[in-house]
Amino acid sequence: MAFALLRHVVTRSAGVMMLALMGAAVVFFAMRAAPGDPALTALGEGASTETIAAFRARWNLDEPLIVQFGLWVANALRGDFGQSLSIASGTDVYALFANRLPNTLFIGVYAIILAVLISLVAGTAAALNRGGIIDTVATSIAAAGISMPDFWIGYVLIYAFALGLGWFPAYGFISPLESPTGALLSGFLPSLAIAAPMAASFTRILRSALIDNAHRDHVRVALSLGHGKTFIFLHHILRNALIPFVTVIGLQVRYLLGGTVVIERIFGINGVGSLMIDAAFGRDYPIVQACALTFLLIVLLVNIVVDLICTMLNPRMR
Amino acid sequence: MDALTLNRRQALSLVAAAATLPISFRAQAQSTTSQSPASLLRAAITGYTVINTFDPAKVTQLPESYVVWAVFNALVKFNEKMEIVPDLAESYSFIDPTTLEFKLRKGVKFHDGSDLTSDDVKFSLERVLDEKTASPNRAKLSSIKTIETPDAHTVRIITQAPFAPLLTYLANTRTGTQIVPRKAVEALGSKFDLNPVGTGAYVLKEWKTGSGVKLEAFPDYFDGAPKIQTVTMPLIGEESSGLTALQGGQIDLTSTAPFASIPNLVKDPKIKVYKQTGLNVRYIGLNGRKAPFDDPHFRRALAMAFDRQAMVRSVVFGEGSPATGLLPPAIAKPGQPVPPSLTFNPAAAKAELAKSKYPADTEIKLLIWGPTWWRKIGEFFVIQVNQVLGTKIQIEAGESNAVFGRLRSGDYQAAVWGWLGFIDADEYLGDLLGKDGSRNFHGYNNPAFEALLEKGRSEVDPAVRRDVYREAELMMLEDMPLIPCFNSNVHNLSVPGLKGFTQLPYSNYGDQFAKLQLG
Repeated sequence: MAFALLRHVVTRSAGVMMLALMGAAVVFFAMRAAPGDPALTALGEGASTETIAAFRARWNLDEPLIVQFGLWVANALRGDFGQSLSIASGTDVYALFANRLPNTLFIGVYAIILAVLISLVAGTAAALNRGGIIDTVATSIAAAGISMPDFWIGYVLIYAFALGLGWFPAYGFISPLESPTGALLSGFLPSLAIAAPMAASFTRILRSALIDNAHRDHVRVALSLGHGKTFIFLHHILRNALIPFVTVIGLQVRYLLGGTVVIERIFGINGVGSLMIDAAFGRDYPIVQACALTFLLIVLLVNIVVDLICTMLNPRMR
Repeated sequence: MDALTLNRRQALSLVAAAATLPISFRAQAQSTTSQSPASLLRAAITGYTVINTFDPAKVTQLPESYVVWAVFNALVKFNEKMEIVPDLAESYSFIDPTTLEFKLRKGVKFHDGSDLTSDDVKFSLERVLDEKTASPNRAKLSSIKTIETPDAHTVRIITQAPFAPLLTYLANTRTGTQIVPRKAVEALGSKFDLNPVGTGAYVLKEWKTGSGVKLEAFPDYFDGAPKIQTVTMPLIGEESSGLTALQGGQIDLTSTAPFASIPNLVKDPKIKVYKQTGLNVRYIGLNGRKAPFDDPHFRRALAMAFDRQAMVRSVVFGEGSPATGLLPPAIAKPGQPVPPSLTFNPAAAKAELAKSKYPADTEIKLLIWGPTWWRKIGEFFVIQVNQVLGTKIQIEAGESNAVFGRLRSGDYQAAVWGWLGFIDADEYLGDLLGKDGSRNFHGYNNPAFEALLEKGRSEVDPAVRRDVYREAELMMLEDMPLIPCFNSNVHNLSVPGLKGFTQLPYSNYGDQFAKLQLG
């Protein structure tokens, strides 16, 4: 049993490493295939041909692509992700990440927590009141939430809660490392903007999974045995319904990362998503590589965690 | 189970706590927003996020200049009428057509406490000229033969030939000629990039990559200590976010504004809008080395086949002026009629196309890039020109870095492009269309035009120079190597209480901080 679990973890980790390498390679070659030159951003459009050549030589950009990729992998394995070429010249990518990754992770986790809380309440309420007013309202809001892009929701939230009611700052984010309460306050609107579309789809999944499970045979058996309704709901309905729910949460994490990219720009969060946009436009290859790898690892890790949770919820999946 | 259930009292207190949460949030939000004492100015850099250096010689990005303008001074600067006036210099004069002499102010201190001398001036300019510095502005100073320093407060710049634009290039703009201290630069080496030492009203205190800049007043500033002690300059990538930050009370001043919002904002009493036609030009760049744009008839036909006024209305919501030449109004000869080649005239455009050796349906790809309004320039142009002339111009979308790369290498037929921040007429006509112009991506080479450029460069009388450039402009509009579209407005937004901000058409910024007051 323990051995099987260990073997499972080892194979999964090896798989993650392989996927990460493949993903890094795809991003690497796709970025290099795109036209543009970091030298133009770093040195300006007036730079002479010699200056550009010197720049390229300094950063090994004149080497064959496969050599460059090899260098990147070799350095990355040693934990050296290089230095920014064109958007923060000379700064260690590692240092940039140390400042920004906590912000992105904070917003991401905050958003998931909000989405899960909202959907647990709304989904359960809708399922328990199937066909009733609460159900209609919750499902309508969910349908609307799925159809609205997060950046639009972001602006709506800014207008309503920051500019209108003045409850939250309209712009800017205080890092959780500086002030946890400041981060909770300034991160609420951006997290909610990211959470809203997710909460909508979670709610729908949870609602239908609850309803589906409520009509299963084992529930009827449990009822006939005279178990309490709360007991049946928690142990026979909710528990089974959580499996698709948790799976969907895992799937949504990649959209979550896409969402942070846009939302970070709108709310001025100094995170990895906004860094990636700047880096991509400035052709700052080392930063793009590092961002892509980070996002990839997060998605893969979340998938593993989701699998583990599902296995815990349903021992048959082992 | 019991542990999870709440009694009624507990449940009620929980609900009450939840209800007070927004109120406590609100109190916190207000405590951060209402706290803008007059000693702090929050001057956001909007629309940009990249800062690589604060070394004037190496600056390439506009936000870098915003900061450099506050931290450094140049020999001369522009006043509110866009006239050149002394800054670190006390006075200047042309001793002869190739010798420009500056008398320096006495008692000017750098941030490290050292005195400004003529040697620092010589060092600063020679540094831009030095290949090793890799300054993007090297070519601007290449007319300089030698720099003499007869005494500690006199600098003589001797050029190979009379070169009128030099004075513009020595002003505190984007030409990298701000004065740096020799000692500090030599001591710091490449660390000077992020640890600038200048003579300016503000000292750089902090730079957080991608996040923002913090400046502190320089008490020994030669023009008197600034009124506002601290200036923070957060980098806000989205212009619309800059606007909400201003409306939400998180900032006091922006460096740009979204065009679409201006018509409403000018009516808003809670926001002060500064605007005027900027020193910039938006155009359709043509590649004169490739069919069909190697034929001037084809080029002229396109130039007359769209309505610039309508373009300004639909692309930048009226926030601009239709082009009347290649030079923006702030530096063009005033009161000139719009040349026929820049006037919307379908009949003349069709007649011109009929004279071309290429048929209307020649395959043409117009490169467009960027977000929103930049993109719309190309879309508007293609829709109207195709409709008027029956051409089959197609759009190819890229992004700025990629499109610029193709412009440079000549791998394009037509592309939407533009420049901002050029101040001297020679930067527009000479750089963009001179045969050796560093931004001549159009293959334009006209000896008569070159002769006029030469004449303009050697003429030191501003009025005569202006006439020469008008003549050159009319000549180039006859050939139409690129199609000028419009000059967009430059904008700043501030809170109503901000006093003393003078907006110049080249989007100046940091040079104003010392004069500002927040009341």
